[in-house]
Amino acid sequence: MQLLFTLLQTLLDGIMLGGVYAVLAVGLSLVFGVMHIVNFAHAEFMMIGMFIGWLCWHYLGLDPMLGAFVALVVTFFFGMLVQRFLIRPILGAPQVAQIFLTVGLLFALENAALMIMGAEFRSVTTPYQTQSVILFASGPERLLVGMDKLYAFLMALASGAAVWLFLNKTRFGTAMRATSQDPMAAKLMGVNTNLMYAVAFGLGVGVTAFGGSVVLPYITASPAIGTSFAVLMFTVVVLGGLGSVTGAIIGGIAVGLIQSFSALVLPIQLQNLALFAVFILTLALRPEGLVARRRS
Amino acid sequence: MSALLEIRHVTRRFGGLVANSDVSFDVAPGEIVGLIGPNGAGKTTLFNALVGIYPPSEGEVIFNGQPIAGWKPHRIAKAGLTKTFQNVALFAESTVLDNVVTGGLVNRSLPEARALAARILDRVGLRAIADKRAGDLSFPERARVEVARALCTEPKLLLLDEVMAALTPIEMEEIITLVRGLRDEGMTFVVVEHHMKAVMKLCERLVVLNFGEKIADGTPEQITRNQKVLDAYLGAGFSTDAEAH
Amino acid sequence: MTRSHPLARLLLVATIAALAVVPLFLDPFGYALRILCLMLLFGALGQAWNIVGGLANQISLGHAAYFGIGAYSSTILFGSFGLTPILGAVVGAVLASIFALLLSIPTLRLKGHYFALATLAAGEMARIVANSWTSVTGGPVGISVPFRPEAGPWALQFETALPNYYLFFAAFLIVTLIFWRVKTSAFGYRLRAIKENEIAAEVVGVDTYRVKLQASVLSAALTAVLGTLYAQFQFFFDPDTIFGVATISVKMALIAILGGVGTIFGPWVGALVIIPLEELANSWLGNSLAGLSQFTYGVLLIVVILLNPRGLISLAETLRDRLSRRNGQ
Repeated sequence: MQLLFTLLQTLLDGIMLGGVYAVLAVGLSLVFGVMHIVNFAHAEFMMIGMFIGWLCWHYLGLDPMLGAFVALVVTFFFGMLVQRFLIRPILGAPQVAQIFLTVGLLFALENAALMIMGAEFRSVTTPYQTQSVILFASGPERLLVGMDKLYAFLMALASGAAVWLFLNKTRFGTAMRATSQDPMAAKLMGVNTNLMYAVAFGLGVGVTAFGGSVVLPYITASPAIGTSFAVLMFTVVVLGGLGSVTGAIIGGIAVGLIQSFSALVLPIQLQNLALFAVFILTLALRPEGLVARRRS
Repeated sequence: MSALLEIRHVTRRFGGLVANSDVSFDVAPGEIVGLIGPNGAGKTTLFNALVGIYPPSEGEVIFNGQPIAGWKPHRIAKAGLTKTFQNVALFAESTVLDNVVTGGLVNRSLPEARALAARILDRVGLRAIADKRAGDLSFPERARVEVARALCTEPKLLLLDEVMAALTPIEMEEIITLVRGLRDEGMTFVVVEHHMKAVMKLCERLVVLNFGEKIADGTPEQITRNQKVLDAYLGAGFSTDAEAH
Repeated sequence: MTRSHPLARLLLVATIAALAVVPLFLDPFGYALRILCLMLLFGALGQAWNIVGGLANQISLGHAAYFGIGAYSSTILFGSFGLTPILGAVVGAVLASIFALLLSIPTLRLKGHYFALATLAAGEMARIVANSWTSVTGGPVGISVPFRPEAGPWALQFETALPNYYLFFAAFLIVTLIFWRVKTSAFGYRLRAIKENEIAAEVVGVDTYRVKLQASVLSAALTAVLGTLYAQFQFFFDPDTIFGVATISVKMALIAILGGVGTIFGPWVGALVIIPLEELANSWLGNSLAGLSQFTYGVLLIVVILLNPRGLISLAETLRDRLSRRNGQ
């Protein structure tokens, strides 16, 4: 009985965590899907989202769930600028240039945050942080979920659904998908592909920043947080297949489950090691990793 | 004389798509066989299966007495079977000479490969542009470099995939002379070409594919009178021009 | 293939002569000599990276793993068993080669971004192991190389930086020579073929998997030996610096690409620019504001790529080609 509850609880924790990972990774996947660029700096936008959420909470008293929308809007425009001036010039460049430009962006963003915000860990206090919902109880055993995790999960789901609807049900989204499949044809059909790329990048980093703010009640913000989530986010998208929203969600849940279950049996350092190993193996086994997709 | 290449019931699937279905035919040493068929008939797929890029899902390929289906392309090349690429796959940043030398390294040392490459460039008429970057060449020039690089591996059997597309009649004539000459020295060829006049002129035997299946196999005269073949080409039109895919 | 311009040859001889003579006029305990030492060491590292990253275009972001394996192997063997770092370097090179072999199983078929991501993760795995395997590595606090000058040259430890400088100079020349041999041999042709069109390379007879594996192992072994030299020079290091993404992996790659990826003199130029710049940034900016020097590093990387995605040497080559074309025709 106790074991069953432990397993169920672990499963639940994994799903809650995974939903958040999914929304963090959806943005990364979107950027790759539309522009065929792997943005090594992407996780830094989660860090930026966390700091925006924190600033909104600290100075305006805004709950991080609402601060997330501020983070989304601010990073959306910031992302458009980054795309226009840094990413667009290297869209047709050799991959080595793309890799090192985004790695440079990673260093610049992380250390800019360090200079502006300092190295301290910043956390928020909210009324629901200490609350939890009991989903099911039997005798002394109970199955519960923290309110902070539940809110974050629901917000993540909602934003994931919004991105999906945007891509699949709006004219703009359709144009964006057309651009991702065949930029030349899209251009001939009158789609402003440069605008599509800029919006895709802005939206991609915006959604990730949104996810950053949403997890603020249970993850503390610091300049290095993005880097420590980078491999996790890449694992999620690689597991689910780069460039797909549903893939990111499946990948996110999978990684959440891997983490929560490996926490049952492994010490903390080895959990990370397990994640890295899963990542490398996934890269090796997924056909998307084997056959390099090329733009014609 | 026993066959150099025996293709036995080769099928190649991509997911649910069957690109080649139960294809069988032999190629004897010293033959020049034309492989023809409408667009999407599976000609390039069959070439890719033979050289090991996408090995056959089913069936066997016997080359020079050895079962090569499932071998990696470099091993097949070493055994004496290679192909040119229809859409040209040169080492674009390297010079023409270096492209050709790379082919020669399959069975030779670097100095030997250099000497061989120089001879081949002369023969194929690329001597003058040997030091140009391959990526800077015109399409007909690149197709020639494709041929030269493949020749430098010293193949027993060479699969030529549309090397005459976009060539002028004079250039085509040069290629035909080249292939014929090499055949007289003992090489064997299978040729995919859309230009029917060139195919008829070059090949003594034609194999016709349609929807991934072999529908005919015979001399050019037999093929042009074959009703199945005419049906296959109807609608697509009996193409006499180089068709772009 | 090697278009050796008489002017370039002269420049090469002059550079080598200058590198041989200049340190004699520098303070043997001074800062300038230390920077020169690091330039040579990182130039050699960039050159080692260039074998895989430059010639085969397999962009590794995990070479710190090999570097750290080399540094830890010799340091642990020297500290615990008194084994000379010369043999320690050999052990490190063997272990790094084994790591490269194991890593090749899941990664060698990967290309471009995917390969970069996988190797990045592999380097991070090595860092995690070094941080958590405290009983062997000493953990996050780092590890010191015991100072035993009485052991003589076998300990590869010197009173001044001058012998160190010549050791690094020799290492730099040897690695450069190895790179040059690789580049101009049949092996180099095969690597370039892989870089430019892997499928075509296979079809004309290149065993792409094996060639990439050989290049990885060679590059890993050289990097590990340089890791040993670095440890003997610094006397102290910790997992986060020796296995660092920014401090080692990206820096190695950056040095190779900055000067023109896949070229023999690319890493020379790269090290000449990056190392002094970094040292200056550290000494001027390092203390004033945390993060500023790394920030500058990142911005520099971005600017370099935006100015010329193919590196400085190709910039010079383009200029030279244009000039010679104008003169010649």
